[in-house]
Amino acid sequence: MMGAETVKKKMNFNLLAGAVLTGGMLLWIAVGFFYLPYDPEAMSLELKFAGMSLSHPFGCDNYGRDIFTRVMVGARTTLAVALGTVGIGAGIGTLVGAVTGYFGGWLDEVLMRVIDALFAFPSILLALVVISLLGSGKYHVIWALGIAFIPSFARVVRSQYLLLREMDYVKNARILGCGHFRIMFVHILPNTLGVLVPTLMIGFNNAVLAEAGMSYLGIGVQPPDASLGRMLSEAQTYLFTQPIYAIFPGLAIVVLVLGLSLLADGLEAAR
Amino acid sequence: MLEIKDLNIEFHDHSKPETVVYDFDLSMEEGDIVGIVGESGSGKTMSALALCGLLSRHDMKKTGRILFEGKELLTCSRSEMRKLQGKEISIIFQEPMTSLNPVKKIGWQVEEALRIHEKCSKEECYERAIWALREAELPEPEKVYGQYPHELSGGMRQRVMIAAAIVCRPKILVADEPTTALDVTIQSQIIRLLQKLNREQKTAVLFISHDLSLVRRLCRRVVVMQNGYIVEQGDVEEVFLHPKEEYTKRLIAAIPSCDPGKPRRPRPAGTVLSAVNVRAGYRSAQAFLKSGDDKEVLKGISFTLGKGEILGLVGESGCGKSTLAKVLVGLKKDYEGEVECTGGRGLEGQPQEGEASQGKVRMVFQDPYSSLNPSKTVGWILEEPLRLSGGFSKAERRKRAEQMLERVGLGREVAARYPRQLSGGQRQRVCIGLALMSEPDVLVADEAVSALDVTIQAQILALLARLQEEMGLAILFISHDLRVVYQLCDRVMIMRDGEIVEEGTPQEIYFHHAHPYTGQLLEAAGLSAGA
Repeated sequence: MMGAETVKKKMNFNLLAGAVLTGGMLLWIAVGFFYLPYDPEAMSLELKFAGMSLSHPFGCDNYGRDIFTRVMVGARTTLAVALGTVGIGAGIGTLVGAVTGYFGGWLDEVLMRVIDALFAFPSILLALVVISLLGSGKYHVIWALGIAFIPSFARVVRSQYLLLREMDYVKNARILGCGHFRIMFVHILPNTLGVLVPTLMIGFNNAVLAEAGMSYLGIGVQPPDASLGRMLSEAQTYLFTQPIYAIFPGLAIVVLVLGLSLLADGLEAAR
Repeated sequence: MLEIKDLNIEFHDHSKPETVVYDFDLSMEEGDIVGIVGESGSGKTMSALALCGLLSRHDMKKTGRILFEGKELLTCSRSEMRKLQGKEISIIFQEPMTSLNPVKKIGWQVEEALRIHEKCSKEECYERAIWALREAELPEPEKVYGQYPHELSGGMRQRVMIAAAIVCRPKILVADEPTTALDVTIQSQIIRLLQKLNREQKTAVLFISHDLSLVRRLCRRVVVMQNGYIVEQGDVEEVFLHPKEEYTKRLIAAIPSCDPGKPRRPRPAGTVLSAVNVRAGYRSAQAFLKSGDDKEVLKGISFTLGKGEILGLVGESGCGKSTLAKVLVGLKKDYEGEVECTGGRGLEGQPQEGEASQGKVRMVFQDPYSSLNPSKTVGWILEEPLRLSGGFSKAERRKRAEQMLERVGLGREVAARYPRQLSGGQRQRVCIGLALMSEPDVLVADEAVSALDVTIQAQILALLARLQEEMGLAILFISHDLRVVYQLCDRVMIMRDGEIVEEGTPQEIYFHHAHPYTGQLLEAAGLSAGA
């Protein structure tokens, strides 16, 4: 039986677990700005594939670099790329979706055809095109992926605006004399959060994976810089001989993604 | 034939277990026609859904017995229940717009029960579907058979629902508010249709409604429910004429009466709103680079609204009432003709210039669930007009919002709540408060009480009348409910197909109407002329 307590407990559990995982991860990343146990790029032949030990808790990689340190730095890069990507995609996507859904008419037709055109390309391919125009590098990857992420946000937000603009409270706001801008962003936007937040979470997960894919192709984060995706793709070669190399960056991705998902779930339920 | 004994229904999916129906008893014979009456939350629909086996088996605990021809329905297996559903026991729902599948043809939907329950050939299926459609009095059943739901009107869809429900000749037809979403004239046709089926096919009808006058017209017996309990049951006339319980008396008293002797206020001198020859229309099927056909909805409407007058506007759906309301409040700008609101009171202490010198028209909508922004608190919503007009400090806005809450009969503490934490009646009070925050000269109430229970409806009507008195407000009261209009309004206009066909005091319209359409409306509402 699902009593009041069970429901509440479940909700609190999500919130708590999400907060602990995300908070822990963020703290770990933040510490990296002030203190790193080793130089993340210092190579050492003796330490090649050194196992877990007290001085190297996650072991060392194929160049003898400390994996613990590199995960610390790599998670920072990955988080920045993912946040930047989702920020650009969701920001522009929401704006486009809001405008097209709210106003409709020719504006909708024109903007949505552009979005459709963006949608027609696989996002990695689209990112490749942008990279070849801008050149590779961390910030270019963010822009490339961010642009590729616009369509999915625009579509979701537009459908919500189409639905919500017909609600009586929106009509009432117009009667009261609200401007379009105020109606769109003060009256309607908060009501799309129920759909927007899960989309953000999915987008964030996809961005982490897309960054890994881009780095794997060699057009994302450039060596010797570390990112979780870059480390995973390097570790892939040694997956069967040195699984430890893959496990810790992978675990970091899982904790990051899972923590944020749980946090979003918990916040949604607590609202 | 049917016997329900000590039925208790308990919800388990909510935060705490909650009993919604207590000790429900009902027995029905073949050809019976029984009404269940109650306000929302009284458990009337839950009892009916339990009978049809449509309640979740996991989230709800049901105790008691439901015996249908000697078979226990509460404990029988799903597959046994399925044999009865649609064959022996059918149901029609309230909303004809959503209870048909939009991508399937009418014929297919009517035949569905036959395909499941009876082995019959394609031709036989077709024959029986046509029979059912004809029985439901649809014109040209052969044509309707091949159409899709969106090609039919609401009334026709409800007939299709009835046809689909009776195609297997069920013994019991459960009708859950089948006429609530329909116009009065269609409503009375559906009632007559149910009566005919009951008489000719000997189908027992369990009619669930919040509308007491409808139940009185249709049913032989009535069950009155409140908060999950049966309050009273018995012969319809007996219950209506000599109600025993306090709650039944209250319900009956809440039905607006049409007393010919009701005193009326004299017609006021000044005019606050006038419309001259207003024409407006819509483009149907607007698409990219292609303009659709124009459809004229308002065909030259002229009227005036006096200072402090309550003017009733009555008409069926599609007659243009809501379009007129949109024109008046400024939601629809592409119209011809003139609309002038000369109030010019503005907010007190505010200089009036430009647009502010014009009178303000505000609106109260029908559905209290969609007219308040769910993501804002009541206080925020009420403060919005002040925020927009500017010139108020935060504390001042808050004070005014709280005063308004008290004015519409709610407590100050409501300001901190979200709309979802309020009941329908409370929400409608907030909506009225919101409309009054900017101190309008005219309030347009578009079916403002139609979605509410009778007792709540009576309270909101009383509130409107009081506010009108206190604030000297003029109200345009749009409704399809003739009784409500009679009770509240000083003057009535009857609208049909975008034209105003008749206008006068309620007494004139209701007892000495001139236009035949007015007569039709009155008759459909059970208010035949002169009565």
